[in-house]
Amino acid sequence: MTPVWRGILTLILAAGGQVLLSRYFPTAARLVDLYTVLVLYYAVSRRRVAVMFMGTTAGLVEDLLAHTVLGMNAFKKTLVGYVMGALGSFFMLSQPLPRFGVLFLATILEALIEAGLLLVLGQHMVLPAAGDLIRQGMGNGVAGIMMYWIVSKLE
Amino acid sequence: MAINKSFPERRPFLLLVLILSSLLVLMSHQVRTRRGSTLLEDSLLNVSAPLVKGASGGVGLLSGVWQGYLDLRASRRENLALKAHLGELEERGREGEEFRRENLRLRDLLDLKQSSEVPSLAAEVIALGTSSQARTALINRGSKDGVKRDMPVVSRKGVVGRVIALGTGMAKVQLLIDPNSGVAGIFQRTRGQGMVVGMGDHGCRMEYVSELEDVEVGDVVVTSGLDQIYPKGVTIGVVSSVTEGDQLTKNIYLSPEVDFRHLEEVLVLLKPGVPAATEELSP
Repeated sequence: MTPVWRGILTLILAAGGQVLLSRYFPTAARLVDLYTVLVLYYAVSRRRVAVMFMGTTAGLVEDLLAHTVLGMNAFKKTLVGYVMGALGSFFMLSQPLPRFGVLFLATILEALIEAGLLLVLGQHMVLPAAGDLIRQGMGNGVAGIMMYWIVSKLE
Repeated sequence: MAINKSFPERRPFLLLVLILSSLLVLMSHQVRTRRGSTLLEDSLLNVSAPLVKGASGGVGLLSGVWQGYLDLRASRRENLALKAHLGELEERGREGEEFRRENLRLRDLLDLKQSSEVPSLAAEVIALGTSSQARTALINRGSKDGVKRDMPVVSRKGVVGRVIALGTGMAKVQLLIDPNSGVAGIFQRTRGQGMVVGMGDHGCRMEYVSELEDVEVGDVVVTSGLDQIYPKGVTIGVVSSVTEGDQLTKNIYLSPEVDFRHLEEVLVLLKPGVPAATEELSP
């Protein structure tokens, strides 16, 4: 399977998982963003160009399925993926704890980027509550570590 | 650490900028501002407004210049048309003035004709002969109109001359100022008599006036009728100078009343004048 098809497949799986979570476990869906986890996986394991394409594509799919402003999640995830990819080149991210940290940081960064974007676009901006943000960061971190462990076993 | 990175090294960053810019445009197209327009429309408007304004100003300027040029051409055409119209009106005005003057002259002539006891015929001067030897005029009346040789010709102001040659439709008139012309004259004030002879451009002189005659500058000389051509009492001219002659007569010069350089309409008297003496002798 080529990397492209593999990327498409994983994106379909992540999107499907997020839809299922939203439908059957809405509380969990608010804590975990599988698209971010996927992009961050690419960020720590793939080249930057691939990360950016995955970020853009995953974000657009999320925007389409979540009926938000088309491009908003794509923008966030592309930028976060690029930044985290750049940071990953300086740190060893093969261990679960650093990876958790990266996922947590990425979640915070995404929230800040979204706030900045809303500001730039002239929209009403509401910063998420710190508790929600921390919970979402931790949720993404845990989900990410689990996903990376599963993927490593599959490989 | 290398400061200047090569293009392949910068490619991911450029790609990131490209992707993010595209996404921003995409979002701007959907997000609406407080004015109801999309952010993209607003941004494009803000960016393009100065350009459009400049272009509009330039186009306006060019349009103004072009419109000015067209107006100028239209004005020029209108100016030419108005000038032509003005010329036509001036010509009409001149014609009108000419008709007015002619009307006045003809009215004077008509008055003269009506006041004259002698039957007369109005004629128009069609040519003036101004050689040094003769002063003549051609009139548009001839033998078919009843004009005959030696018939006197007068105008409102006085004696013009007499017919000396005839054609069917025209006649030649010897003017009063012709050197060969002679008219029997009489001073209106003193009744002294003499012969008025033409001097060309210098007017006339009166001959055979006695040295003893009381003559003053300004005296009016009229026809006496003794020549049997002119009727009695038609104005000839006014004495302009009087000097003592070398014999027994005076040198008397006259200014004719008629302006011979501007003769236009005249009256031919169809019945030659009757000498006063004859009149007096008749029972």
